[in-house]
Amino acid sequence: MTALRVIAQGLAVPVALAVAVIAQLAVVNRLPLPGGTGPDLVLLVVVAVAVSTGPTTGMLAGFAGGLALDVAPPASHLAGEYALVFCLVGYACGRARQAITHSAGELTMWAALALMAVGIAVGEAGKVALGLMLSDPNVTGPAVKHLLPVAIFYDLLLCPFVLWLVSVVLRRPAPAGAPRPELTQIAAAFRVASAGSVGAVPKLRLAGSTPLPARPPARQEPKLRLSGTSAAFSPAKPGVGGRPVKVNFSQASPAAAKPRQSTSPGKGWVRAARPSGQAAPRRSSPGKGWLRVTRPTGSPVSNLSSPGKGWLRAGPPAVTPAPKFRSPGKGWLVAGRPAAAAAPKFTSPGKSPGKGWLRAGRPAVAATPKRSSPPKGWIRPAKPVPPPRRKSPGRGWLRPAKPASRNVYAKSPSTRWVRHSHSPWPGRRRRLLALMGGRR
Amino acid sequence: MHEARWTRPVLVMLLVAAIALITLDFRAAGSSPAHAIGADVFGPVERVAGAVASPFESIFRTASGHQSGEIADLQKQNDQLRAQLAQAQVAAQDQAQLSQLLRLTDASHLRVVTGTVIAAGGAYSDTVTINAGRRQGIAPNETVLNGDGLVGVVTAVTASTATVQLATDAASTVGVRLAGTGEIGALTGTGATMTAPRELRLTLFSATAALLPGQTLVTFGSVGGRPYAPGVPVGEVTQVTSQPGGLTQTALVTPFADFSGLGVLGVVVSR
Repeated sequence: MTALRVIAQGLAVPVALAVAVIAQLAVVNRLPLPGGTGPDLVLLVVVAVAVSTGPTTGMLAGFAGGLALDVAPPASHLAGEYALVFCLVGYACGRARQAITHSAGELTMWAALALMAVGIAVGEAGKVALGLMLSDPNVTGPAVKHLLPVAIFYDLLLCPFVLWLVSVVLRRPAPAGAPRPELTQIAAAFRVASAGSVGAVPKLRLAGSTPLPARPPARQEPKLRLSGTSAAFSPAKPGVGGRPVKVNFSQASPAAAKPRQSTSPGKGWVRAARPSGQAAPRRSSPGKGWLRVTRPTGSPVSNLSSPGKGWLRAGPPAVTPAPKFRSPGKGWLVAGRPAAAAAPKFTSPGKSPGKGWLRAGRPAVAATPKRSSPPKGWIRPAKPVPPPRRKSPGRGWLRPAKPASRNVYAKSPSTRWVRHSHSPWPGRRRRLLALMGGRR
Repeated sequence: MHEARWTRPVLVMLLVAAIALITLDFRAAGSSPAHAIGADVFGPVERVAGAVASPFESIFRTASGHQSGEIADLQKQNDQLRAQLAQAQVAAQDQAQLSQLLRLTDASHLRVVTGTVIAAGGAYSDTVTINAGRRQGIAPNETVLNGDGLVGVVTAVTASTATVQLATDAASTVGVRLAGTGEIGALTGTGATMTAPRELRLTLFSATAALLPGQTLVTFGSVGGRPYAPGVPVGEVTQVTSQPGGLTQTALVTPFADFSGLGVLGVVVSR
């Protein structure tokens, strides 16, 4: 990203806020709209910025926008009221966005809109509540009863447009459904990967092809951790070396060098490579971990936009299914399908990269005798037939899924799938029903 | 994430700053320097924005059937005639009192400075900003009117803009008297408690005076014509709401001025 673009992005939010303030005062407030009031553009922009960036930007934008509304000429309320409310709302929306992206991995359009709606309602109510507390003569019970629903209604009407505009202004992809710039990143990564694999097949294979004794399963620097976590992944390790491709990937990504605090939740299957005991139960939820791994930098959106990085760095980067990369979950599955380019090289089961790949992603516990022949099953997945793919590696993480709809998972295990698989409610519902039935 | 480290401290700082601002403004009764600085910063921008937005706003107004065509013209004429009638009533029926009032103000020195509305307050404040200010001779606490009648009072000025508190604002109180009888009372804005058209609440200080729908009100006037110049038509009594046995009489008053479609306003400058 060039410096110019950084400056432009930094200026985008202040400019958007200034435009919103002026438009609010000079246009919206003067329109004789039915209902006696109009939308609050500044609140809309603040909430949209918070939802599409994060708590820091949200709270700063909220304070600035609120203060501008407080002191711009026709304002008759006390200076600082809206600054206080908008600051809190921006921070809360940013935090909620962070929480959602951390748990679900991706902020869908509907989630963003719902979050915006809640933030707007809270913001409007907060303005009113503060006015009532400060005994503003204009903010009285009947007035609130008249105006609050109307204001929220107008705000909700404008919600999608403002969200869209803000995401355009911030030059980031809309939470969902918008064109994904990550396709270009993935395509570039794949180009690098395939170029590397042409001349340096063994390097690519190293991910899995090294014989077992050379690498104990529970070693401290598993390949997958290299991609996501930073520490163990250094090219200075000649013992594990001979993998310049992976090394290069990690170095190419600025995120790899960052300390991972919140970005490496450890829940994921990548950490499963670590010899920690808690990896086993969590491996039932692979998508989550995968998503988290791909989010190593500060801004989740841009990271989410390139889900392929995580597993590309992890090792087998042979296939280029760019057009299919709409959802990160897909990418994960495609990751298991590296055979298209490298299939001829994986013919021998002992050398199959899938083995190594799998081992990297699994704790030592998973090293069952069946794993001696994994390539058949799921390295070949280039074939469009899902069942063989799911045979050997699926044991670990695909088994919790419903076996009947495996095709669905093979095709689009999107975040919905991931979330669904995480949801505690089916189990609770079942237990509740059992409880009720037992009482009867 | 990097923001987690300093987001919270900054958040706390911002909240403290906001609360400090509120406190300062509360102590200064809403006229702290923050407002002056904000007016100086945003005033010129709003002048430009208001000039740019005016055509679009008039298009919207016309498109939404607000004040359109012949009806609007006739309505305006009607309002003007009514205002003239109110003034004529004042002149004819109460000339003695009026001349006495006018003696308080140096009427010959009154002049009107006009300005156009360039911005309006939010849902909970009936205030507008006009594009004339200190440079045009406007000072705080001066009467604002338009062709129909009383609009409000100037509350703050910058070099090039002035903020007007409308008579419908809940914080506004205007001294008025009935055009026919000269009974005095106070007219308070109702804020947003009324849906449009907004009405004003009249409190007539006499418990026995005749108060009937259709009577018109004019401003009572203040010393030196500030904040309210005398004799400006305000509105018409539409509904008497007084309770029997009360010390005062109350009524709802429909203002002559159309507060939802303010355009050119005049400020009575007292020098």
